[in-house]
Parts: sequence; C-alpha cells; structure tokens
Amino acid sequence: MATQINVYQVAAKNLLRKKTRSTLTVLGIGLSAWVLLSLLGFNRGYEAALNKDIDNMGFQVLVAAKGCPYEAATLMLKGGTGLRYMNESVIRDILRHPQVEKVTPMLMQAVFDPNKGESGGINAYLGVDPATFPSLKSYLKFKQGGWFTDAQSHEAVLGYEAAELEQREVGDQLLIPEKNIELKVVGVLSRSGTQDDGTIFVPLRMLQKEFGQEGRVTGIGIKVDRRADISALENKLYDLPDVQVVSMAQVKETIMSLVSTAKVMVLSIALIAILIAMLGVVNTILMSVIERTQEIGIIKSMGAMPGDVFRMIWTETVILCLLGGGLGIGFSLALSKITDILIRRLLPYTPTGSLVAVDSGLAFLTLAVILGIGLVSGLYPAWRASRVRPLESIRSEGE
Amino acid sequence: MPRQTTVLKAQNLTKVYKRGSEEVLALDDVSLTVRRGEFLSFVGPSGSGKTTLINILGCLDNASSGRLQVGGRTIFDGRKGLSESELTRIRRRVFGYIFQKFYLIPTLTVEENVLLPFAFFRKPGSPPGVFDLLKSLGLEKRTRHRPVELSGGEMQRVAIARALVNNPEILLADEPTGNLDSKRSEEIGQVLKSLNRKEGLTILLVTHNPALARLAQRTITLRDGRILS
Amino acid sequence: MKNAWNRTARTAWTLILLTFAALPLFSAVGCDLNDPDRDVKRLFPGSTGYRTLYVSVTEKGGQELLRKIEARLGDVFKGLYETADVPYTLYQVYKGKELIGYIHGVNQKGRYGGLQVFLALDLQGNIRSFYFQKLTSQYAKLLRDASFGRQFEGLNLKDFYGYEVSTGAARGGSRVAAIRNPAPQAEDDFRSTLRAVKKNLILVDEFLLGNKYLEHGPKS
Repeated sequence: MATQINVYQVAAKNLLRKKTRSTLTVLGIGLSAWVLLSLLGFNRGYEAALNKDIDNMGFQVLVAAKGCPYEAATLMLKGGTGLRYMNESVIRDILRHPQVEKVTPMLMQAVFDPNKGESGGINAYLGVDPATFPSLKSYLKFKQGGWFTDAQSHEAVLGYEAAELEQREVGDQLLIPEKNIELKVVGVLSRSGTQDDGTIFVPLRMLQKEFGQEGRVTGIGIKVDRRADISALENKLYDLPDVQVVSMAQVKETIMSLVSTAKVMVLSIALIAILIAMLGVVNTILMSVIERTQEIGIIKSMGAMPGDVFRMIWTETVILCLLGGGLGIGFSLALSKITDILIRRLLPYTPTGSLVAVDSGLAFLTLAVILGIGLVSGLYPAWRASRVRPLESIRSEGE
Repeated sequence: MPRQTTVLKAQNLTKVYKRGSEEVLALDDVSLTVRRGEFLSFVGPSGSGKTTLINILGCLDNASSGRLQVGGRTIFDGRKGLSESELTRIRRRVFGYIFQKFYLIPTLTVEENVLLPFAFFRKPGSPPGVFDLLKSLGLEKRTRHRPVELSGGEMQRVAIARALVNNPEILLADEPTGNLDSKRSEEIGQVLKSLNRKEGLTILLVTHNPALARLAQRTITLRDGRILS
Repeated sequence: MKNAWNRTARTAWTLILLTFAALPLFSAVGCDLNDPDRDVKRLFPGSTGYRTLYVSVTEKGGQELLRKIEARLGDVFKGLYETADVPYTLYQVYKGKELIGYIHGVNQKGRYGGLQVFLALDLQGNIRSFYFQKLTSQYAKLLRDASFGRQFEGLNLKDFYGYEVSTGAARGGSRVAAIRNPAPQAEDDFRSTLRAVKKNLILVDEFLLGNKYLEHGPKS
C-alpha cells in the first residue's frame, strides 16, 4: 500500500481528465517547438556552411574589372563575350601594398557548345597561373594526377563533377568547342564540396593566347597577410583606376543579409506560433481551473496553502510544456533531412553541406524557451487557483 | 491543541452578506460553546443560517462581528480575523470536513484520494498508511477503485476517511446524506455515531434529516439567523 | 561614390556566385534524359506517360552479374566512371494503360568528352530510334545527323552479337557491318558509339526483357 502522494503526481493525473484537450495542447506546443528548433538549426547550419564555402575560396579579396556588374553576370550566362577585362599591370600595383601576401591572376572565358543537350549550352574555362594558384587553394586534393606546371601548355585540370560528366581521366583529351582546341587532362580533383567541383582549370597564358586576350584578366585573387587589416587594404585598393574590389567577407555579408531578413521574418513567425501555442496552454489550464473550482476549494479545506495550489497548477503547465517541447524536438531531429530538402527548394543560394545543424545544445535552448514562455503563461491560472477561497467554491451547497 | 474541555467558544457572532445592493443578516448574535467529544446537530429551515454558522465555527469563513475561540485560541475578535494562510494552518490541525457533494478527485484511486491531504500537510503522529482507516470504514476491498466505480454511500465514506486522515479534533459535516438514499443515509449516520462514541470525535452536523439529527447528543435549532433553543 | 560602387560590386559577385551554383549540371553519374516529358513524347509520339526505374548492376546481381554482362559485351568495364554501381535510368513508355516501349541511355567515354547514347526500343527489344543526347567532337554535326541514327533502326541485340567491341570488326553481311561512319576522322568516337549501343541493348535485355537474347549470345 502506498503511504504518500505528492502534488506533482496529482498534477500529472489531472491532465488525464480531459485527454483530448491535453493531447491537442501538447501537439500545438510540439509544432511550435519543431519550427523554432528547425529555424535555430538552420540559422547555425547555413552560416557554418556558408563560412566553409567562402573560406574555401582561398583568397580573401577579389579584384575585378569595373563595369556594370549585372551586365557581366548576365552576359556570362549567354556567352563569353562582353566580359570586362583588366590589364595585368594592375597586379604590379597591387603587389606594392605591404599587406598583400600573394596574388593570383585569373581569366574566365566561355564558349557555346551546340552539342550539349537539345539546344546547346555554355562551357566555361578558368585560366589560372600554375605558379600562384595552387598554393592559394592548397586544400584542393587530387583524385588523379596533379596541376599543370607550364603556363603555356595545352593541359587541363578538372573538378570532380566536371570530369565525371565528361568521363575524363588523366591522359584523356578534352575539346574546346567552337575553337576546336585540344587539351590533355593532367589532373582530376577530388570532391571539395565547392564550386571548384564543376570547374575546368587551364593554364592562364594558353587561354589568353587562344582567345586573343593577351595581357588581360577578369579577376585577381589576393591573399592578405595574416596580421594585416583587410578593410584598410580594401580602402587603398579602391584607389586603383577601373577596378572594383570585392572582399569575400563582404560577399558573405551580402548573402547573409539577404538571408537574415528572411530569417527575422521566419523567427517572428516561429515566436508567434509559440505564443499561440501558449495561449492554448493558458486556455487549457484556466478552463480546468474554472471547472475544478469546487474541488480546489475542498483541497484548500484539507489544508493546502495557496502556495501548494499554485505549485500544483503550475506543475500542470510545466508537464504540458515538457511533453510538447520534447515532441517538437523529436520531430525536428527525425525530420531534419526533409527540412533540409524543403529549405533548399526555397532559397536561391544554398551552400554545400548540411543546412540544418540541430544539436543537443540547440535542443536544450528550444526546450528552455518553450518552458520559459510556458511558465510565464501558467502564472495567471495558477495564481487564480491559489486565490480560490474554500467557502466560495462550496457555497453552492443548499442553504 | 492543549487538552481542554471546551473546544469551541462562540460569542455574539453576526454575519452580514451583501447581495447586490441589499444587505442580508445571515447570523444575528449567536453564542455557543462546544465541548470535546460532543455530537451536535444543527437543524432549521432553509435560510436559517445553519450552514453560515457552521462555516464560521469551522474557520471556513470570518464573521462580521463577535468573538470566536477554537481550542483556546482567538480566531476572530471584533472585526479582526485571521488571514487565509493562518486559517488554513488552523483548519488542517483541528478540522475535518465532509459535504453533501463528495468532492473526490476522479483521476485518483480511493487510496490516493484519502492520502491527498498528506500531500499538503502531515500531522505529527498520524499513521504511516491509511489501510486501517479504510478498513474501519469497510473500504478495504475498494482501495484501488476509482470514485466512478463506487456507490454513493461508499463515496461518502471515502470522503469521511479523507477528512479523518490527519486526526482532526472536530469533524464538520454539512448535509452529508443530502445525496444519498435512506439506507445509505442510515449507514453514514451509524458511521458518525460510531466515530463519536468509540473515538471520542467531536462532530458538528448540519442536516435536514430528522433521523440523522436525533443521533446527536444535542440539537440546536436556528431560524432567521438566531438560535431558538 | 566608391562605396556605392563596391556595394554593387558585392551584389554582382553574389549574383555571379549564384549563377555558377545554378548552372545546370547534367546528371553526372547516371544517364537521364534532360527533359523526359519532352523527350519521351518526341521519341514515342502518341505516348501518354512513362514510368522511371533506377537499377544498378550491383544491386541486381553484384560482381557475378557484372562478369556475365562483360562476357556478353566482349569487353570489361573500365575506368573511373564505368563501374558496377553506376545507376541506370530505364523509362517504360505507356499509351494509356498499355506499355508500348522502352527508352534507355548509357554514358560512354568518347574522345573528347562523355557520349550519352539513348535508344528507344519496342517491346521485343528492336531499336525504334537512336538519339545522341551528348557528344563532344569536331565532327559532332555529322554524327548527330538524322541519317546516321536511322541506320540503327530495326536492329536488335542479336545483330550486335556479331560486332566485336575490342577490334571493331563486324560479321560480314550482318546489319551492323552495314552501318557507315560518316566521319572517318572520328573513327574512335564511331566505335565508342557502337560499343555504347551494344552495352545499352545488353542492359535492357538484362533488366527489362528477362534475358530474351541470352541464348543467342556468347557462352560465358
């Protein structure tokens, strides 16, 4: 035989009185917890993935030719012409700055391949300097072969996916359509999870010569000395004529600000969802307090202090929030893959890597938020219950 | 509570209610003394103030004026009464209550219902378990049942057990058989009588049932807020 | 003024990054139709729908099945990209509820790039039409011309058993021997194409036709 019962057991059993009502309330909290946790996970995952992508660019500052940037972007899609070029002499000007550790010139060219699919497509080639480029992108590993060493040779290094598409291995030939130039594949890179996977790298001088762009480049990558102030360097670089300076940190900032507006909006929605769920909690508990007014009066007559009653009712809130929060966290963990897919569909730019990074820290945070808001919502019904005077509630006795 | 003969002393109690804009005099200058081990019944027509009186005597409500002492301690004097928390402390040491509606918690078993007061207060010297108490009321086979599975008489007996679990000095019973048929009413009456005779429990009973009233040692009749006899 | 420029530059590079991310990469590992809704209708006019199946040699029979297929092909699977776990996409074409044919494509290494050879087949495994979804070559125009593809129509795996992939020799008088190469300078791509067709037919026989043509082939 039992010898003791406590208010927490009583509170838990009270919730079983109206099972449907309690279940629906828990579901409401669960859904809002799911939304909140997924968002927090996305917040973290996206930023981490983006950082990785940006860091993997290898250089912190990019200098490109000045011109209408939108034009450059759209023209690149339609063909290689119309790209803005810089003179290579800009490199000398850049190297004058002591903060600059390394530079690497790049030339992007594109041709139209009529045999790609039904109506053709473009092939892009990135001309790089074998003396400087590989050291800036030292994290790139090779599946086969290695970098070309001669800046004039007719050779190519392919990113993993570019190689897979063309079924190229080291030793195979590669054809530049339109110009009918043959290149020899000397290296196939391993997967890096960045844009480099789809890139065809060729020696800079060779590309300049074949495309009639001697002395010209489309971009210069700059590695800044570790101790230097990047923004100070950028400011100095702005003084160079006819160039625009882009820092990868700023690119990241732009993308993040594009995303953060969306984030703020969605977080607000998540919070509203939580508040609505909490209203459900308040409603559930308050209704049950009102329904049990007489019973609460009797409990008071048994010797329960206002504090005891308060604790009992507040415990009911806590139990609902814990169950709902736990359920939402469970949903979030189980369905994180699906959430990842959904988000990829919705956003314009999604970095490679897992987008939704839900871990136990975030799960606890979500639970804490739910519990915190729940405890506040539960204050009023619990206070109300504690104020019940035994007599008022039993007064409906036949007088 | 120190061992005294007088457990309750009421002097010139009045109670005024406000009903809308009207003022109702529910109790008019009532004085009363209750000795330990007494079985008192309060009778009178509806509106006579018997429930009001018993509520004040049982520390469930404060009077408007007069004086009330419980176990030698002044509960109410003039206009000044005790706070709800202080009243609660006195209630749980001194009183046990049963009402016309049984007020059992439907999600708890019989055993858990009876143990419920222990969740808030356990009087020193109270028994470790409640089985003996349940057995004395004929409920030893019903300990794991829920209230919905019990008869009216059984439910009231559970309420009585719950009221007794902390060894009260005084049991307040307000129309305990109001919801029961005559057979069950008789049962309850016998239980109360037994508690009074065997355990020496002081009982204050409000009832419309004359047979039940007769079980008491003393009957007090009220009318229009005053004691007639 | 400078700040405004650089803000625009930032946005522009963002867009450039975006476009690179968005450049369509044709399905790298397997061989899917670029636009199945359009292509199925083109290859089977009158069809109303299709079902897509994905299979690989590994899941259908592992190394043992691979050896069987290699024996039928008369050549081994080689290189980084021709492996037993490559997924193959098979299209079952319907007219209403009736199955009317199949479409299947394979990747094949060509001289300058990957070839993607698709065959539209009837229910007996005869070729209805031939389609080069992708081909990189100076002579692509000649090989992608309709007259080249027409030479394959009506042929089936039995005909291709007479073609030796390793030497490029076809049994005299066979229908495969009658296929002409319109671009003699691209002989290697021509031979790669024939290998792709033979491999394509073998895989269809294995995965869809229940090895109807097995008995006609070489004994493993």
